[in-house]
Amino acid sequence: MTAARVAPASATAPPGDAEPLMRVAGFTKHFGEVQANTDVEFEVRAGEVHALVGENGAGKSTLLKMIYGVYHPDAGRMIVDGAEVIPGSPAEARALGIGMVFQDLRLVPALTVTENIALALEGGQLLRLDSLARRIAAASERHGLAVHPKSRVQHLSIGERQRVEILKVLMTGARLVILDEPTSVLAPQEVEALFGIVRHLRDQGFGVVIVTHKLPEVRQIADRATVLRAGRTVLSGVDPADYGDDELIEAMVGHSVPALATERSLVDVAASPVLEISDVSSRGDRGHEALKGISLVVRPGELVGVAGVAGSGQRELCEVALGLRETTRGSVKVAGILASNPRRVLAAGAASVPEDPVGDAVVARLSVLDHMAIDGRPLPKRRWGIDWHGIRRRTDHADARLGLRIAPRHRRLSDLSGGNIQRVLLTRELGLDAKLVVAAYPSRGLDVSNVRRTQQILLERRAEGAGVLMISEDLDELMAMADRIVVMHDGHIAGELAAADFERQRIGRLMIGGAA
Amino acid sequence: MTVTTEPPAAAPPLAPPPRRSAGERARAALPIVARWAAALLGAVVVFSALIVFKGANPLEVFPDMWLSTFGRPRSVSEIVIAMAPLILAALAVVVPARAGMSNVGGEGQVIVGAIAACGVALATDGTLPGPLVLALMMVAGVAAGAAWAGVAGVLRLGFQVNEAVSTLLLNFVALDLLLFLIYQPWRESAAGQPTTPELADAAKLPLLTGSTVHIGIVLAVLATIAVFLVLRFTRWGFRLSVVGGNAEAARRAGMPVPALLLSALLVGGALAGLAGVVEYAGVEYKLRPGFGAQIGYVGFLASWLARHRPVPVLVAAFVFAGLAVAGGSLQLDAQLPAATVNILTALILMAVLGFTQRKARRA
Repeated sequence: MTAARVAPASATAPPGDAEPLMRVAGFTKHFGEVQANTDVEFEVRAGEVHALVGENGAGKSTLLKMIYGVYHPDAGRMIVDGAEVIPGSPAEARALGIGMVFQDLRLVPALTVTENIALALEGGQLLRLDSLARRIAAASERHGLAVHPKSRVQHLSIGERQRVEILKVLMTGARLVILDEPTSVLAPQEVEALFGIVRHLRDQGFGVVIVTHKLPEVRQIADRATVLRAGRTVLSGVDPADYGDDELIEAMVGHSVPALATERSLVDVAASPVLEISDVSSRGDRGHEALKGISLVVRPGELVGVAGVAGSGQRELCEVALGLRETTRGSVKVAGILASNPRRVLAAGAASVPEDPVGDAVVARLSVLDHMAIDGRPLPKRRWGIDWHGIRRRTDHADARLGLRIAPRHRRLSDLSGGNIQRVLLTRELGLDAKLVVAAYPSRGLDVSNVRRTQQILLERRAEGAGVLMISEDLDELMAMADRIVVMHDGHIAGELAAADFERQRIGRLMIGGAA
Repeated sequence: MTVTTEPPAAAPPLAPPPRRSAGERARAALPIVARWAAALLGAVVVFSALIVFKGANPLEVFPDMWLSTFGRPRSVSEIVIAMAPLILAALAVVVPARAGMSNVGGEGQVIVGAIAACGVALATDGTLPGPLVLALMMVAGVAAGAAWAGVAGVLRLGFQVNEAVSTLLLNFVALDLLLFLIYQPWRESAAGQPTTPELADAAKLPLLTGSTVHIGIVLAVLATIAVFLVLRFTRWGFRLSVVGGNAEAARRAGMPVPALLLSALLVGGALAGLAGVVEYAGVEYKLRPGFGAQIGYVGFLASWLARHRPVPVLVAAFVFAGLAVAGGSLQLDAQLPAATVNILTALILMAVLGFTQRKARRA
C-alpha cells in the first residue's frame, strides 16, 4: 500500500471483521549494532486477547515501545483504524486510543486513586476531583474493576494498583490496552481476578495485548498469540490451541528444552539440619515486624521452597538465615553454628543468590572476574597481593562445570544485562561446595534454557547433599523442584506442604492468608 | 509451522564484546578530548571577561601569567614546593573516596599534623639531634592526622554521622585549636605577630642538592606510588573498592565493612597529617594564623579533578600549584588581586567536572 500518512485504508481494503484495530507491518529497529526488531508483523483486532510471547531480549519491549510512541521505527508501517500513522510520542499514541500498563506500575503512592487518574488526564478538568471520582466509580463498575476512588494508592495491594492503572488507561480513551507482563507481580488468585477483567474487556470490544512468557497463561487467556525470537516474528497471530507446548517453547527458544528430572531422593530426617530457624522474629528495613515467629528447618539433601506474595517476609527470611539481619527473638543456626553475622555463616558453608542482584551484589566499576573473587571466602593471597590467576582458574572451572556461559571476565558487571549479571552470580555461588544454598528467585531474568540449567544445577547441589532454601514466585517451578514448600503470608509461615500435597489452589489460598 | 530446529545447546553464547582497533579507540576518545578542550576554553573565556571587566587586557595577561610562571626557574621551584603538600592532601581524599567516603577534613588534618610536629619540636627543644626530631615530627604528624580523621570515623560508625559533615566541622575545631596555641601557650613573644618560635635548622626538611626545593616532593611522589600500588594490588585496596562500589555487597561477602571504612579514613588522615608536617618543616617553619594556605581544601579539589585516582593527582596538583604561583604574577603584572586566580581555579574545576563526566553505559 502506498497511501500517504493518515490516508483512509478502508477505501482500498474491504471492511469487515478482518479489519484490525491496529496493525504493524515490517517494523524494524536497531540500536547501534543490535537489531532489536526485524520486519515484525503484529496485529490486534477489536474484541480479542492477543498474547505477545518471547524470551528476554526477543524484542517484545522494543515492539511495544514503538507502538506506544516511545521509539520511532527505522522502517515499517502502522495502521490504526484503517489509517496509516506512526505515533511520535506516548501522548500521540494515547490520542489514537492505545494505552499501556507498564510492568513497574507508575502511580504516586501518597496520592489517592482519583488524584492519580487526574494526573493522567490532560486538560482543564483537573481540579474537579469530586466529579472525577464519580466518573471513576462509574467506569470501574462498567469495566468490572473493583476500585475505590478515594483510597490512597500506598494502601492498595499490587493487584489493586494494577486495576487502577488499567482504569487510568481506559479513562484516557484507550481501545487497545497493552499489559506488559502483568502477572509477574501477582499471586495466583490475583491472576484469576486479572484474567476476569481482561475477559470482560474483550467482551466489551476492547483489544487487549498481554505480554508473557508463561505458556499456561497463554492457553488460559489468549485468543491468538504472536511469538518473537531474536527480533523476528516466528509465529504471527496463531491460535495457541493449534500448537503443543513443545512447539511453542521451540518457537520461543529456537530449540527444544529438556524436561526437568523430577525424581526426589529420600531426605534423611535424622541428619542434623544445615539451617535451623527457631521461633525467629525480625524487623524489616522500614522498622515494621517483617518476621513473626518463624520456625523452619532445612536438612542436607533437601530443597525447601518458599512461596508467598512478594513482600511477605521472604527477603527478611533469607537475610536472617545468612546472618545479615538481626533477630529480635529466636535463634538461627547454619550447620550447627549460630548465625550471628555474615562472616560466620559464610565460614559455616553457606552460599546465596541475592534477591536484588543490582542492589545486593553488583559493585560499581568492578569486572566479572573481580566479582568472582568476592564469593565470601578469604581472598586468595599471592605475596602482597591477590592470586588473580587462581581466581581465573576457579572461575573457568565453575563456568565449565555449571555451563551458564558467563560473560568475558574483563567486562564490567554493571554494564551487563540483568540475565547476564544473574548468570555470573549463579556461577559464583553455585560453583562453591556449599552446605547451605539460599537462593532467592534464582531464575530471575534468565531465558528458558538457562532457567532449566539453573534448576538442574540446584537439584545437583541437592543431590550432592547440600540443603537448599529456594524463594520463587513461580509455583510450577517450586512444585517441580521442592521436597517441601512453606508458604509465607505477612511474616508468618501460613502453611507447610509435603511434596505429595502440592496443589496450586491450596498454596494460593495460603499465600493470601486463607486456610489450606 | 515456521519453527526452525537447531541442536539443543545449554545456553546461547554471549556475543563477545566488539574488539576495537587503535584507530577506533582514538575516534571514540575524541569527544572526550573535545569536551576537555571545551571545558578549559570555557573557563578561559569567562575569566577573560572578568579581566576585561577589571580593565586589563586578557591578551597581555595570559602570556604574562605563562611567562612569569614557567619562564623563571624560581617560579618552577615554587610550583614544585607547593605541589608536595598538595599531593599528600589530595591523596588524603583519594583513599577514603575509594571506600566511597568524602574526606572534606583534609584542612583540619593538615593543621593538626603541623600542630603535632610543632609540639614535638617545642618539647624536644634542641635536646635531640635534628634528623631524629624530624622523624619524630613525622610520626607525630601522621598519628595526629589519622586521629583527627578517626574522630569522624568513629562518629560515622557509632552514630551514623555523615563523614563529609563531621570532617568539615572538625576543620573549624582544628583551626581554633591552632589559634589558641599560637595566641596563648606556644606564642613566641607577646609583641608582634602571634607565631610559634622558628623550627631549628637541623630539624627542617633538607633541600634537594643544588636547589631551593626541599625533599617534600620526593616524599609526596613516593606516597603517590605507594597509594597507587596498595589500592591497585593489595587485598585491602581491593576490599576498599568493593565497599566503595557497593557496601551491601561487601557486607554480604563477609567483609568487615566498618573496619574497612575506618581504616580508609585513618590512612587518609595520616596522609593529610604528613602534608601538615611537610608544610611546617619544609616551608613555613612556624605556626601562624592562616598556616597552610588552605592546602586541605585545594587538595580536596585536586583529588576531584583527578577523579580520585592517585597518579593523576600529580597532574592535578601541578595545575593547582601552577595557578597559585601564577596568581602572584597577576597581582604584580596586571594589578589584579592575587585572589583573582582562585576564580580561574574554580572555573576550571567546575568546567572540567561539568563537561567531562562519563555517561553511564549499559549493555
